[in-house]
Amino acid sequence: MVTAVTSFGRSGLYDWLIQRVGAVVLTAYTIFLVVYIALNPDLDFAQWSALFNQLWMRIFSLLALISFITHAWIGLWSVLTDYLTNRLLGAKATVLRVVAQMVLGVAAVTYLVWGVEILWGF
Amino acid sequence: MAVLLWLLDASLASEESFAAMKESLNNPVYKFVLWGVLAVLAYHTVAGVRHLTMDGGVGETLKGGRLGAKLVVLLAIVLIVLAGVWIW
Repeated sequence: MVTAVTSFGRSGLYDWLIQRVGAVVLTAYTIFLVVYIALNPDLDFAQWSALFNQLWMRIFSLLALISFITHAWIGLWSVLTDYLTNRLLGAKATVLRVVAQMVLGVAAVTYLVWGVEILWGF
Repeated sequence: MAVLLWLLDASLASEESFAAMKESLNNPVYKFVLWGVLAVLAYHTVAGVRHLTMDGGVGETLKGGRLGAKLVVLLAIVLIVLAGVWIW
């Protein structure tokens, strides 16, 4: 069963690093947003949209979005190649896994386009 | 992820949609869904921090691994309860 061809970086070491860099970005973004919203309980639309109007916030958000997509792809690739295997399910496992990965790929592109539209569309 | 993007979309699209989103978050069903999303995120983040800590060579022994696992569950429960208090 060929599995490495659908990994993200086509190398375990690249995937390992991208996974972890993305994890740090996502943690930082999550903590930032939670702290920001917690410190501003009376947050209104003007302040909120002003925050997302700034270039650094858009860069931070886009970085988090890209990190999310790569992090999810690599993580779910690990899960799928661990559990949707020929040994476990027979010959149909590869077809099943590739179909699942196509669905995930469409979801990833959808989130990216949607996220960019949200960030630059208001 | 879809839930969080939907919230961000609604919160930024316009002043009206921001208000409508705030209003809809008074609905207990939406509150519960948001709590569920934050709970999963909190647990995954805490477990991920443990993973990176172990990548760094800390807590790799059997004893350290067991302790780390317990700490993750404990810290995640605390964060999930806090998230619940925050939402309600």
